[in-house]
Amino acid sequence: MRSITITINGIECACRAGDFVKEVALAHGIAIPSLCHHSALPGQACCRLCIVEAGKPGKGKSVVTSCVFPAEAGLEVETDTEKIRRLRTNILELLLDRAPLGGGALAGFASEYGVTDPYTPEHPDEKCILCGLCVKACEKLGNSAISTMMRGIEKKVGTARDLPAEDCIGCAACAKVCPTGKIACTEAGGVRTIWEQEFALLPCPVCGKPHITGREYDWLKARFGADGDAGGTPFDAFDPRICPECRRRTSSAHAGTLPASP
Amino acid sequence: MKEDIERIVALYPPERRFALAAMQDMQRQFNYIPAEGLDALSAAMGIPIAQLYSMATFYRALSLKPKGRHIIKICDGTACHISGSEVLAAALHDAIGIRPGEVTEDGAFSLETVNCLGSCAVAPVMLIDDTHFGGVTPDRLAAIIEEVGAK
Amino acid sequence: MSTHTIRVCCGTGCIANGSRGVAAALREAAARAGAPAVSVETQVKATGCHGFCAKGPVVAVDPDGISYYQVKESDAEEIVASLGGAPVERLLFRREDGTFARGEADNPFYEGQVKIALRNVGKIDPLSLGDYRARGGYEALEKALAMAPEDIIAEVEKSGLRGRGGAGFPTGTKWRSCAACEETQRYVVCNGDEGDPGAFMDGYIMEGDPHSVIEGLAICALAVGAEEGFFYIRDEYLVALDHMARALADAEAAGILGDSVLGSGRRLRFEIVRGGGAFVCGESTALMASIEGRVGEPRAKYIRSVQKGLWDKPTVLNNVETLATVPVILKEGYEAVQELGVGRSRGTKTFAMVGKVKNGGLVEVPMGTTIRQLVFGNGGGIAGGRPFKSIQTGGPSGGCLPESLLDLPVDYESLDANGTMVGSGGMIVMDDRNCMVDVAKYYVGFLAQESCGKCTPCREGLRHMHAILTGICEGKGTEADIERLEELGFTLKEASLCALGKTAANPVLSTLRYFKEEYLSHIQDGFCPAGVCRALVVFGIDAEKCKACGLCAGSCPASCISGEGKQPYEIDAARCTACGNCRKACHFEAIHPEKRMAV
Repeated sequence: MRSITITINGIECACRAGDFVKEVALAHGIAIPSLCHHSALPGQACCRLCIVEAGKPGKGKSVVTSCVFPAEAGLEVETDTEKIRRLRTNILELLLDRAPLGGGALAGFASEYGVTDPYTPEHPDEKCILCGLCVKACEKLGNSAISTMMRGIEKKVGTARDLPAEDCIGCAACAKVCPTGKIACTEAGGVRTIWEQEFALLPCPVCGKPHITGREYDWLKARFGADGDAGGTPFDAFDPRICPECRRRTSSAHAGTLPASP
Repeated sequence: MKEDIERIVALYPPERRFALAAMQDMQRQFNYIPAEGLDALSAAMGIPIAQLYSMATFYRALSLKPKGRHIIKICDGTACHISGSEVLAAALHDAIGIRPGEVTEDGAFSLETVNCLGSCAVAPVMLIDDTHFGGVTPDRLAAIIEEVGAK
Repeated sequence: MSTHTIRVCCGTGCIANGSRGVAAALREAAARAGAPAVSVETQVKATGCHGFCAKGPVVAVDPDGISYYQVKESDAEEIVASLGGAPVERLLFRREDGTFARGEADNPFYEGQVKIALRNVGKIDPLSLGDYRARGGYEALEKALAMAPEDIIAEVEKSGLRGRGGAGFPTGTKWRSCAACEETQRYVVCNGDEGDPGAFMDGYIMEGDPHSVIEGLAICALAVGAEEGFFYIRDEYLVALDHMARALADAEAAGILGDSVLGSGRRLRFEIVRGGGAFVCGESTALMASIEGRVGEPRAKYIRSVQKGLWDKPTVLNNVETLATVPVILKEGYEAVQELGVGRSRGTKTFAMVGKVKNGGLVEVPMGTTIRQLVFGNGGGIAGGRPFKSIQTGGPSGGCLPESLLDLPVDYESLDANGTMVGSGGMIVMDDRNCMVDVAKYYVGFLAQESCGKCTPCREGLRHMHAILTGICEGKGTEADIERLEELGFTLKEASLCALGKTAANPVLSTLRYFKEEYLSHIQDGFCPAGVCRALVVFGIDAEKCKACGLCAGSCPASCISGEGKQPYEIDAARCTACGNCRKACHFEAIHPEKRMAV
């Protein structure tokens, strides 16, 4: 990719053509708020908080979504104009009303922008802001056991038939990316409870601490096979049962032998 | 039902892009999409079941609940709306006791509102199964319902 | 021996009025009259829409140029018997001055209409490939096969044709961008998911002239270098789906499509995808997601679909009416479209003009025709002689214009500048008995159901707008609500992901712009002047005007109207449900809305 320069809030930023503006900004120390973005997942452009004004010199600027807006040479971006702040304020009001218990990052942005809910919430206990990250994480890291259901103002995230999903491997990727703590995931006595299912956890072969669900282990094994990945790494050489702490301690022994991500 | 499901699933190559068509076929066959149908489709096409439910609940042409033997669609497109489609819906409620989204107890009729049937010049319009009725007035309703119900 | 062809309109509008029965009756009558003694050879054709849907079923007689309206099965004998002689006068269109119009040529409904996209609709049997070819069908495709793709694109560019589905993007430019892509696997898509409530031209073109749409898409495919194409057609359009499927099969069987298009060795393979029933799928990226077998959620279009569309391959998507126009450009030259219209809006546009207009239906007029000409010229004014109040154009993405803008020319730029849009071409005419707040609520309610729910402003903003408008219609509104609606409208317009959300506030913003008084009546006076919002209204009878005919009492479902003899009737306000049936029934303008008093 060609190396180019764009201007964000008057600062010249070097990047590659096609890099997304939000990430270019972050790399240059300019934070743009967002609630539906995770650097490991493709941009969704659905929460709309990361809007900025952008345009070519002399052409006027329009409101674009920085998480999916590709940089091109000479682009000028303003991330904090009066118009953008007004729009973000309105969007935060809408999100706060949708999910009064959204907490976390949402509460942080709300206080940064001085926003309170001007409406009367329909569901005072709601936490979900429909950012879609859990669904994307489940699709990319898990087994697509959850998806969005319904549409429009009735949209929600759920499993098929709202029943405990056979497809769910209990990997908890959804809960880990959830910005509001909507997806409950608890662990006690070697059992993880998530999406109304209980999953037995396997002990870490090094320290014995429970870490991965049996179903996720079997699923990974079935996916990558006993023969290992395409690079020839035997499955057991990268034992997913090893907990993150132990893996860090032993990582030098395994450097460069990670299986390709699914 | 099992045979019909298998027949419909077998009509299409195992590619995601045919999922909607297969679901529409099931909808036509059964007046709704049975859970068994989605399970079979998921297995045949390799599409996660959650994603099929996502589609089945997103598209209005698809329904997970059984509908009546006769499906009454009241058009609530703009032209019909300003020509009194709501009054028509109220009159239908008086006549057969159901509101949009419901099925009569005997399973004979289900009632839906739809966004536009494209017969705007003869609004308000109603579709019963595949038959269009234009310029429907509350007093014509009874006769229409009786005629269809007798079939 | 003279030959007559009787064309019976079997468009969806006329079917709803019983035209299939009329066609059958005419066939029988013609067969009975076909004895040697009668020197008439008659062919009865079921055609697509003749345009004049309000007066359906429509029956036309060729070559006499006669058009009959509101024909019943029982009229069949008389029509057949009259062939070659004087027309059946009582079935002709009666003009304002009481004289009869013999056919389309002297009927004001057709005045100023120029039929390009609708050139064959109503004229041919849509299921007959022979009929289509007899009128020059597929000659443009033959011509295109002999042309360089670049030349096809140049011709379309010169015509000035812009997308007829809503956005008005220049068609030639779109094709050029796609043809320039490095990736050679490309697709073409016809958007037949006409979802705007109140618009039906695309459906009627597919019903009435399916081959023109197929030919248009074939030419598009040749121009951009695609071999595969899709027709995405609304599932509710039963007749359009059926006719398109049969026309596609006929075109393949005739070697027009398939492995060697008209013997050229070029390959074209088209298939039909039935829409799932989601308005948002009219948005191009959502439509493509739907074809791919996913939920119809749009994506940000910073990388355009002409570069990355279906399965991330370059894809051109055009609307039905756009494609139906393309063969004319190739066959007759770009001038055929370019010489009509105004400014940057060239050619003709088909409008579905319905609602409270007297003579509603499909009209195709040059861009730049005024609203006044459409409503009062072609449309013959407002039904029942009531006052014109507003015209809504562009469907849920468009807005409502007031009487003061009746002389506005209808073109992309003029409508846009006044808060509405051409959109797909729906035109809903409203009279003094339509409430503009109710209309805004209707559209917002529609969009709230049809929003895909992916982005915050559209999903949450529409929910709140609908709640606020419902409150106003129920007398619970405050003046702060108006500010709130404007602020939400601004947020939707600027910050939504796709065109559905960006334009969703137009019905509200345009009614606030032109009909703010009516909002204020609801909010300040607790009254709906149009007599629509039932929580704010009861009906009353003007004793001076009442003729004691009793029609109102007979129409009242609440049985709350009473009267005897020659005395004026009375409505029991406490029991009146404000359904409005009595007002409709009254011939004397004696019934009017009054403010509903709190109990």
